[in-house]
Amino acid sequence: MKKLTVIMLVLLVAMLSVFAQSAKETAEPAQTAAPAAPSAPAAPAKPATYTYNYAVSDFPTNWNPHTYETNTDSDIYGNIAAGFYTFDYNDDETGYKVVPDMAIGEPVDVTAQYIGQYGLDEDAVNQAWVITLRDDLKWDDGTPINAHDFEESAKRLINPVAQNYRADNLYSGNMVIVNAKNYLYQGKTVNLENATNAYYEMADLTVGADGVYVTPEGGKVYIAMDSPLEAWLGGNTLSDYVGAYGEAYFDLTNWDALVALTDEDGLVELTEETYALFVPVTTGNPNWGETEADVPAYFVYSSEFPALDWSEVGYKALSDNELLLVLAKPLKGFYLLYSLTSTDLVKIDLYDACESIVDGVYTNTYGTSVETTASYGPYKLTAFQADKQYAFAKNEYYYEFNDGKDIYMTTDIVADYVPEASTRLELFLQGKLDSYGLTIDDMETYSLSDYCYYTPGDSTFFMALNPDYDALVTMQAAAGANINKTVLCLLSFRQALSFALNRADFCLATSPTNSAGFGLYSSLIICDPEAGTPYRSTSQAKNVLVNFWGLADDIGAGKLYEDVDEAIESITGYNLTKAKQMFDQAYDEAIAAGYMDGDDVVEIKIGTPNGTSKFYNNGYEYLVNCYTDAVKGTKFEGKLRFTRDDTLGNGFADALKNNQVDLLFGVGWTGSTLDPYNLMEAYTSESYQYNPAWNTSVEMLTINIHGTDYTTSVKNWNDIMLGETVTITSGKGETIDFSCGDADNDPETRLDILAALEMAVLMTYEEIPIMDDSSAGLKGMQIQYYTEDYIFGMGRGGIKYYTYNYTDEEWDAFCASQNNQLKYN
Amino acid sequence: MVRYVIKRVLLMLLTFFIIISACFLLIRLLPNVPAQQFGKDMSLVLQRRVRQGLVDSAGNPIPLMSQYWHFISRTLIGGDWGVSESLYIGQDCMQIFVSKLPSTILLNLYSMIFAVPLGLALGIYAALKKNKWQDHVISTGVMIFVSVPSYVYAFLVQYLLCFKFKLFPLVMNSGTKYFTWSMFHSMLPAVLSLSFGSIAGFARYTRAELTEVLTSEYLLLARTKGLTKAQTTSRHALRNAMVVIFPMIIGEFIGIIGGSLIIENIFVVPGVGPLYINSITALDYNFFMLLSAFYTIIGLASGILIDLSYGFIDPRIRIGSKANGKY
Repeated sequence: MKKLTVIMLVLLVAMLSVFAQSAKETAEPAQTAAPAAPSAPAAPAKPATYTYNYAVSDFPTNWNPHTYETNTDSDIYGNIAAGFYTFDYNDDETGYKVVPDMAIGEPVDVTAQYIGQYGLDEDAVNQAWVITLRDDLKWDDGTPINAHDFEESAKRLINPVAQNYRADNLYSGNMVIVNAKNYLYQGKTVNLENATNAYYEMADLTVGADGVYVTPEGGKVYIAMDSPLEAWLGGNTLSDYVGAYGEAYFDLTNWDALVALTDEDGLVELTEETYALFVPVTTGNPNWGETEADVPAYFVYSSEFPALDWSEVGYKALSDNELLLVLAKPLKGFYLLYSLTSTDLVKIDLYDACESIVDGVYTNTYGTSVETTASYGPYKLTAFQADKQYAFAKNEYYYEFNDGKDIYMTTDIVADYVPEASTRLELFLQGKLDSYGLTIDDMETYSLSDYCYYTPGDSTFFMALNPDYDALVTMQAAAGANINKTVLCLLSFRQALSFALNRADFCLATSPTNSAGFGLYSSLIICDPEAGTPYRSTSQAKNVLVNFWGLADDIGAGKLYEDVDEAIESITGYNLTKAKQMFDQAYDEAIAAGYMDGDDVVEIKIGTPNGTSKFYNNGYEYLVNCYTDAVKGTKFEGKLRFTRDDTLGNGFADALKNNQVDLLFGVGWTGSTLDPYNLMEAYTSESYQYNPAWNTSVEMLTINIHGTDYTTSVKNWNDIMLGETVTITSGKGETIDFSCGDADNDPETRLDILAALEMAVLMTYEEIPIMDDSSAGLKGMQIQYYTEDYIFGMGRGGIKYYTYNYTDEEWDAFCASQNNQLKYN
Repeated sequence: MVRYVIKRVLLMLLTFFIIISACFLLIRLLPNVPAQQFGKDMSLVLQRRVRQGLVDSAGNPIPLMSQYWHFISRTLIGGDWGVSESLYIGQDCMQIFVSKLPSTILLNLYSMIFAVPLGLALGIYAALKKNKWQDHVISTGVMIFVSVPSYVYAFLVQYLLCFKFKLFPLVMNSGTKYFTWSMFHSMLPAVLSLSFGSIAGFARYTRAELTEVLTSEYLLLARTKGLTKAQTTSRHALRNAMVVIFPMIIGEFIGIIGGSLIIENIFVVPGVGPLYINSITALDYNFFMLLSAFYTIIGLASGILIDLSYGFIDPRIRIGSKANGKY
């Protein structure tokens, strides 16, 4: 016992000694600002500092511009990098404009000089551009940056060995650099999933000399027996399904014969014989619910990329300050400049030093620590402690700080990792943070604060339903006796679900900063980026809302609404009386169609990614209560119940497609603020639809084009809007070849098509809009936003334009005078 | 004794191998399908799965047993835990883990330094004052602190001591100057939050053991032989009571490197606590396996150490000796 006591005492004394000694050391500057001793000689006055402090709830780990994956990661990159061009306020500060940043002047169109090179043909326009760079660009260590650095960076970005996550910056989206994708994939024979790529039908394929079907490009075609199909089977293999469900869903007569032919990659060569063997497997059992037309979805085909020299890629340094970009498709104006608002520049020597091959797999640690980071933006990374804090200071080599145009008042930026919202709020109220993102729990206290700012997002969140009759039959059979799901394929039932939902209440219950959503696109989506015109402000988009919500007949002099805007203002999306009528109608239709009988109970399985998120938990509870109440007094009373699968995780978005659940909520798309035309593909393309039951290739749509009604499929209209030429037929049987993409210079017609497609999607009631994304936050008293209104591209000024009411020293004194408890409500 | 230790170590290695194999197979069986992204070249997204060893560079799945053999040969035999695949992309798992250990160890060490003497002292005092008001007060406090989860104290400590009374910073300081007053001061709220439960636990066990020993006849004999109450308590009663309590201290001491997920999150301690769960949610296989191996070996080793410690504390206990041994 004595020994133990002695040991404990020694330990205690040792610890206290260490701290006593340490306490004498200079405390860390961030924590204390000890006043100078009176007798000390007067030190030169320190320049005032203005530090922007904020907290993050997720911590960045990788800000390599070639490999970063998340918005959290881009937080660091955003401060240390610049673009060729950048957003700035327009002249009256009511919108944005794109101005040169690292470039000088506008890009110069040199397409004519490169006709015959890089595959540019005689009539090519807007496909070769020269960007002239400033001659005072430098890294944060003073090393000059020139056009060759950009070329070398691009070369490393699409390094075939690296297969960088961001490699598609050079070939997906609007700006497609000639041969960038071919360079990345050179030498590779890749097996492409037919369903997500060319989607060849049997008629497109020919039989090769060895009896194996080949694509028009000569690639062999295979049946994916034991190889994952990302789109068709949600990343699972057909073998997985056959193993799980066997003869309950498949005709296994030929299965063993096919398995015997399967190679080590899980593929069977597609021949006439194997095709004949395979067709019954997925079509022979009605429970699986597929026809022979679906069989090509199980194909993969090989595609070979030939070796390619870098000189054939359309990304070249013409001199130290001239960069040539050759594009595979025309691009000009706003979209060209917008594509150039970020770069993939890396510091070559440092980048190469960070490369390694581990287990035959390329990795690169560039942009993972202070030592592996090089800055060329307004700030440089000065500190980084994983899962704790990162900090920036002004980069004295940033060109704008040396040409007399420095308007950045912020001298330092400090980001702290604080995962708990309550801790973030307490830090904010103590004056340790300059901004705080409000949570559901904070809204009651701070939503009316003068310091509360709302920021719209570009996403609309939906409730997505599974209306696929065959799939519902299968699922209800699996759910047990007297369970019905097929009622979901009735439009009237889906309409009832829509009208019964009080969207404003749903937002309050799940995410009070969001607002009720009534259309496919939120008010932030811009259809004319040159003019900054929001899509929802156009007459076409307004008409979609009043038509969809049945208000068109109530607008006009002497009617319920004086004009369209007043009608739109009145939309709530909630009409319980109509919902009850629709429920009754749906019940009658379901009985008449034999979908259900009087003993059946409709059971809707709702899917969520997890069981811990407040959003999904509150949302699920709200939907259950809302619909349980809504059916009271209808024929569905006591016949509607809900279950939940909260284990979907990353597979959440594919759960409808995979027939795991019947309903998803809170789903939507983000990242296409400036291109609603392209974004429409998310709703009309099988690749992106939450549930591809709506076959847009056969669904016909009539649109009035220049005074004449033309009819073609929804998919064709979508393709037309994206610039493809499609033959369309008028009501009188006349046909024309028509395209209406960005290059066709007919924005009004293009907008008409977009609005018609939006209406068509909404009318399916398969993806029902419920809320528009928005967030709310508190602004600290130390800083001042440049504009009160949120402006796309500029926010409220950002770090560049933020001004400060106090220096750091004054702010500390102010907070102390408030007893470190600031009032924001 | 030596044979016993060798036998236990070999058994430990076998158990370790079984647990780690189960972990490997179970984590790899979890669904891992990249979410569809609008306009994204999904074959680049699949590169993560290549890095994770799930598919080859052509995108073909690698059989689970091949992955398992690769893990055994590279990691268990070769000692290479690989690089992080999603949490800290491309960075060495072991380096990241080791860099996070100091703050966790320090936090828990401070907590132990508070908890052990205080817990023992309260337990002894309560035992000596058995059934008096002092004992009731301590026992009530112990029951409360044992029953309430530590994160509840953590939020209370943070709100009251840090936010309202401003005695401490709300979160731990950044940086790696661990042995400074400023850093210690910033860690105290987390230390206190971690200590309350341990103090209560030690006090409860000490009181229970000591109460039992104090009623033994040999203590009465000691008193009749002329020893004072303090002498009998410290020389005889406490020593015997420690047979049960000391292994508990060792177990807790070994557990300190395990970290505390919630406390570390609340006070933003950049330690290893949240790593394990993050590695599962992010499906960072290499990190998960490293952490699984670490915690498994810690758990197994502490079991052996605790068993062996009985022999050191109480000479009557001879682990591994024959049942007919004399004492």
